[in-house]
Amino acid sequence: MLRTIFLLIACQLLGEIVHRLTGLALPGSVIGMILLFAWLALVPRERPTLTVVTGWLTAHLAVMFVPAAVGLIDEGDVLKADGVGLVVATAISTFLTMAVTALVFRWALRRFGPVDTEADTAA
Amino acid sequence: MTDLMTTSLFWLAVTLGVFEVADTVSKRSDRHPLLHPVLWSTPVLIGLLTWTGTPYETYQQATFPISFLLGPAVVGLAVPIWAQRARIRRLAVPIALALGAGAITSIVSAVGVLSLFGAPNEILASIAPRATTTPVAMAIAGQLGGVPALAAVIVLFAGVIGAMFATPLLNLLNVRDYRARGFAVGVAAHGIGAARAFQVDSTAGAMASLGMALNAATTAALLSILALLV
Repeated sequence: MLRTIFLLIACQLLGEIVHRLTGLALPGSVIGMILLFAWLALVPRERPTLTVVTGWLTAHLAVMFVPAAVGLIDEGDVLKADGVGLVVATAISTFLTMAVTALVFRWALRRFGPVDTEADTAA
Repeated sequence: MTDLMTTSLFWLAVTLGVFEVADTVSKRSDRHPLLHPVLWSTPVLIGLLTWTGTPYETYQQATFPISFLLGPAVVGLAVPIWAQRARIRRLAVPIALALGAGAITSIVSAVGVLSLFGAPNEILASIAPRATTTPVAMAIAGQLGGVPALAAVIVLFAGVIGAMFATPLLNLLNVRDYRARGFAVGVAAHGIGAARAFQVDSTAGAMASLGMALNAATTAALLSILALLV
């Protein structure tokens, strides 16, 4: 368990170091995600504890961003000035993204799709 | 007694307690998107801070142990991507094309529409990562000079409406394939969309989780490249 926690924290720390060295706007945690992926590919073996820990973290993601969302308490002016624009832009962008992604996926599936479709729909 | 209200102990207990109540209600409603626990616990906590006269900075410091977990949680998103590598290889072309198209559509349409309303740059930077999962959106918004709290709420709203309207929208477009449907919901509406997709179909749910995790990395990469150019 401790080793798994160390793996996650170490990936994030390395990500943070890469982030600072390169000056990329890519957050350290996202670079850490890519590093963990690389680690999983380089050292392939069963990792039941990692699956349990990351599964627990993902399942409780919602509560972790509550403290940040409460930060809206100081953003009253912004919401007053741009609230309508934010709602409209978020709604349009969400629906448009969903439509474009679904249509491109379907088109590409027909054009370049796998011969074996059973493997996916059964999973 | 009042100095108790500046301690981690107090605000951690209050935050977890309030969230737990909201989460129980959400579970009872079979996870209706409008009853998402963050949507209801946030205003309650804002009310409590206002009532007790606690500055946000105090609350933020006190609840740091909860927020800290976001980083490792984002790192851990590599695991579901890794677990689905066989499927990714099989569907490599549709996934790559749909992901690219979706990520670009999301950024361009969100920033484009909002700039029509004359919003300032820090607000545009807060909406740019709106399709990614909340912790990633907050981190990116912070990097681009946006407001993380605003990004969190925008992402939450996107997830709620995305989850609510996914089925009618995709039916309207006549997309029947659950792989395409699920993936689109994950790319457009992250974890809240994925939770909804899992209720409809397990393939759609798995594809939605994949779409969410892949888009977190893709949108982050696209925006950091964009930040270099601008």
